[in-house]
Amino acid sequence: MFSDQKKYFEIGRDMAGRMRYGAWQIKEIVDLTLQPMETKKEQFLMNFDTDVEEVEVEAVLTYFVSGKKKDVVYSVKENLAFDID
Amino acid sequence: MRKTRLLLLLFFGAALIWRPISLQAMDTEVDTIDELVSMFDESTCMDCHEEIHNQWAQSWHAQSVVSSLGSIHNFIEIGIKKEWETEVTKGHLLKCLDCHAPVINFASEKLAVEIADMIVTATKEKDTPAGEAAKKELAKLKVGCLSCHNLKALTVAPGWNGPREEGMIYGPHGEDAGDAHETLESIDMTRAAFCMQCHGIYTAADGETIQCNTLSGSYQNAYVAKGGSKTCQECHMDKGHYFPGGRDLDTVKQGIGFDVQINPYRHLPGQIKDVKDEKQWVPSAVVTVFIENRAGHRIPDG
Repeated sequence: MFSDQKKYFEIGRDMAGRMRYGAWQIKEIVDLTLQPMETKKEQFLMNFDTDVEEVEVEAVLTYFVSGKKKDVVYSVKENLAFDID
Repeated sequence: MRKTRLLLLLFFGAALIWRPISLQAMDTEVDTIDELVSMFDESTCMDCHEEIHNQWAQSWHAQSVVSSLGSIHNFIEIGIKKEWETEVTKGHLLKCLDCHAPVINFASEKLAVEIADMIVTATKEKDTPAGEAAKKELAKLKVGCLSCHNLKALTVAPGWNGPREEGMIYGPHGEDAGDAHETLESIDMTRAAFCMQCHGIYTAADGETIQCNTLSGSYQNAYVAKGGSKTCQECHMDKGHYFPGGRDLDTVKQGIGFDVQINPYRHLPGQIKDVKDEKQWVPSAVVTVFIENRAGHRIPDG
């Protein structure tokens, strides 16, 4: 019905084709990760159809430790009820 | 003439006797992995430190070479051979293994090149008998007890600390271990700078900077700069020598806060397209998420 996501990550290659995450190349560049001592605020606006009476909203924080392994760190669910006029 | 020769011989003899023990060890280079491992035999550590050993055995330090075969293989095959167009040397390999297996410093040039070949074989021929044999041999190389408690114990400030003593155990408290071994206090081991020797920008002997991860860069430039003062050890030794990090869910949870606020509302009619009845108020919600980075470095990194 509705899905959105925000990703925080190390970026890949720069415009000269040099990797920005490789061990033997240069890494300084725009940092898209979560910074220490900071709180990020993300807001998601979702609209449903006019005949929807009940919705389950789930917010999930997933941590990808590698391309192969991911962990669900937090998951928050809430049921919303809407009265139809 | 005879007198001069005698004096020179005496001087040369004295120079050998007074050389620091650590430098003698640095000159010792062996030709097999088994000899390398036996130079820093850690098999007796667990006799007294069983709990610590068991924690370490579950850690990534205990598999610091075999868990990084892909990256080290890429450095050898893509970095050194393809991009730099040169042959692998011990100096090259040390750029990885001075941290991943510090005992490599005592490998001969021949052994270092053999180890590089093993890394390539273990990666390229994974799941074959040759690949498995190479991996089994490489598994003997790791960040063991003496990697931190001797080899790297003083190297944060080698001038101030002086050379390490061969056979000495360095610890944060210098507690006496009775007859088992001598212990010297190394305050450096309690500091972030100790971990940052490897978990950050590593400068190789030829000046090359190796940036496997930038945790220490983020720690210094973002965390400490904003007033943070915890050390790496305060969080990453919560489970002792298991050194939990991004692969440990408890540690990830400790480092990230997650506050979700879900607010349902009804959107103005006629504003949202493609709904069944554009004259109706539209069921809607605003989900606000606050993600707090409580770690001492950026997330993700590693």
